[in-house]
Amino acid sequence: MDFDFTEDQESLRDAVRRFVDKDYGFEHRRATVRAGGFSQANWEGLAGLGLMGLAVPEAHGGMGFGAIDAMVVMEELGRGIVLEPYAQAALIAPAVLQHAGAEVQAAWLPRIAAGEVLVVLAHQERSARYRLDQMATLAEGQVLTGAKSLVPAGAHADAFIVPARTAAGIALYLVERGAAGVGTRPYLLQDGSAAAELSLDKAPATLLVPAPQGLAVLELAADIGIAAQAAEAVGAMDKLVAITAEYLNTRKQFGVAISSFQALRHRMADVKMQLELARSMSYYASLKLGEPAEARRRALSQAKLQLCQSTRYVGQQCTQLHGGIGVTDEYISSHYFKRLTAMEMQWGDSLHHLGEVSARMQDQAGVFA
Amino acid sequence: MDLNFTTEELAFRAEIRQWVAANLPADISHKVHNALRLNKDDLQRWAKILGKQGWHGWAWPKQFGGPGWNAVQRHLFEEECALAGAPRVVPFGPVMVAPVIMAFGSPEQQQRHLPGIMSGEVWWSQGYSEPGSGSDLASVKCKAERRGDKYIVNGQKTWTTLGQYGDWIFCLVRTDSSGKPQTGISFLLIDMKSPGVTVRPIIMLDGEHEVNEVFFDNVEVPAENLVGEENKGWTYAKYLLAHERTNIADVNRGKRELERLKRIAKAEGVYEDARFRDQIALLEVDIVALEMMVLRVLSAEKAGRQSLDVAGLLKIRGSEIQQRYSELMMLAAGPYALPFIQEAMEAGWQGDQALSSLWPRGSTHCAPLASHYFNYRKTTIYGGSNEVQRNIVAQTVLG
Repeated sequence: MDFDFTEDQESLRDAVRRFVDKDYGFEHRRATVRAGGFSQANWEGLAGLGLMGLAVPEAHGGMGFGAIDAMVVMEELGRGIVLEPYAQAALIAPAVLQHAGAEVQAAWLPRIAAGEVLVVLAHQERSARYRLDQMATLAEGQVLTGAKSLVPAGAHADAFIVPARTAAGIALYLVERGAAGVGTRPYLLQDGSAAAELSLDKAPATLLVPAPQGLAVLELAADIGIAAQAAEAVGAMDKLVAITAEYLNTRKQFGVAISSFQALRHRMADVKMQLELARSMSYYASLKLGEPAEARRRALSQAKLQLCQSTRYVGQQCTQLHGGIGVTDEYISSHYFKRLTAMEMQWGDSLHHLGEVSARMQDQAGVFA
Repeated sequence: MDLNFTTEELAFRAEIRQWVAANLPADISHKVHNALRLNKDDLQRWAKILGKQGWHGWAWPKQFGGPGWNAVQRHLFEEECALAGAPRVVPFGPVMVAPVIMAFGSPEQQQRHLPGIMSGEVWWSQGYSEPGSGSDLASVKCKAERRGDKYIVNGQKTWTTLGQYGDWIFCLVRTDSSGKPQTGISFLLIDMKSPGVTVRPIIMLDGEHEVNEVFFDNVEVPAENLVGEENKGWTYAKYLLAHERTNIADVNRGKRELERLKRIAKAEGVYEDARFRDQIALLEVDIVALEMMVLRVLSAEKAGRQSLDVAGLLKIRGSEIQQRYSELMMLAAGPYALPFIQEAMEAGWQGDQALSSLWPRGSTHCAPLASHYFNYRKTTIYGGSNEVQRNIVAQTVLG
């Protein structure tokens, strides 16, 4: 048992942090939001660090790194509330594609690792809420018909991983954005990131994972998404807590720094508690990704439930602790608050995961149960 | 980063598990698993069994007769004991005063006191709190005046847990009132059989005699019972408080009590009620998150780092969780948690014959639940109230 990072992981962290500090400042981020929430230059910057190949096997030109390396990167991206969908493109897509046939892998994985293509998961449907097994999108032979929502950077992606119903259950397909019958309608999300509606009208598709195994791989993809987002949330909360602490130590009222007021100090202690609980469960999430499906799903739901509680508390309280400036657009903390809020509603909110944890409870509990 | 214990650690755990299974008396574990009243004999029997093995001071270094385990081994030992239903070791001797005697006591004090603590023969009490000094420990007034080769002690201690059984008591006493409150405190070991020591029970809201007041009326204490230097007691007291960090979260007992909560919820028919079950699920996540925090602290300690800033959070979270499971157990029983029958705390009680016409059928296991809920309100008050803990945590964030 060991919770230390290796020297390589610390170097990786430093590299990402330097990029975020230097090339992803607050004003730069605001400009990116105004331009639609996705910047090709930012994306190329991330690719320039070699980060796109992180989870791609070495045989396909990647680095073949593991969940903890991914966690380190996500914490740092979270610290800078980076808008571009790194986890989708560099963690989830390669994990799903590794369940596809050799030919598909050879065609896509090296290009993902090189940062040449952006592939994202398009699974959300209007009627499904947070359920992964509910969808109307239909596969007939090798063509798909249906609609997906909230596709990250949907108007910029080169291809989509699309779950669809077949007679045998759920299968996963790859659909290229430029293919016939594919339409995207982009919009901004509340946190400033880019998303799109995806419409599929008899769109040609490549089979990645046949039914009924598609659902199990989709669940794995969601769990990778939860673990990545947990780390991202920890990075964002860590930074927001630091911003808030600095504010409390600077801002004066009644002639003294407001950090001297016990009501605010205790609130800050509670914020710190939620941050450290979240960090603990972020570690837990990444460390449990390799478990068998049932244990993995239980652990990831436990982690997401903690993360949902923590992000909401830390976001709300850090806004409150700032007073009026905290509810303005010009000040940085509100942008962290909005990102943290959006995270609760991605990959399942607290009520959804409470239901999952509750349904999966066993007589014994604990980290090793 | 690796969540798994090493092969050696797993082998160690298996060895401890086997030993506990073979040596923990069944009548004691029955009481623990059902939260029934443990008497002095139960506690001391287990202490002596551990002592015979050299494990009553399980955190002690080899140099003083302990097993010399590292932080992870200690955690595994505590976990195996807790899950098997062993009583919590009464901490005042082996966990609290012993490390102070090891670090600051004279060789004579070490030889005189440590063997009796390890063997479980000598029962120690803690003389810290006083009426008027709650979480503000440095305000102690109990006075020790040096006269020749003796100290004359006058004053009062309170909240002395299980002090009615105490052979010895370690006290923070005031030896100088001239400077800052912290600078005039000394650390004194006092034989509770000395003339002038009086122990008076304080009955708690659950009707139990768990804590006491201890009065000192011109008690003569040999000067050789002073630990370290006069007026340096505050330093030793802080050392003592810093010594017990992960232990106070008591996450292992939390896991055991979560299992018990599920058993009670099933027996009372609320485990399948989604609204109630969700409350258990939330607690389960709280316990997993606490365990991860404990493991993070242990991992840092194993690597020789002590200053992990989450350690201060463990007392707050651990105590909140203890209160929450006691609350949910009581709520699971619902109205059947209300009858107040103190005899129900005794093992084997099935509803006294004389009471059977009054006692609701099939609800004997509900009888202690409310008492425990009331008793556990202490957890966020003792050991430095959670509000004081929040001050400490805030200090790490805000300076």
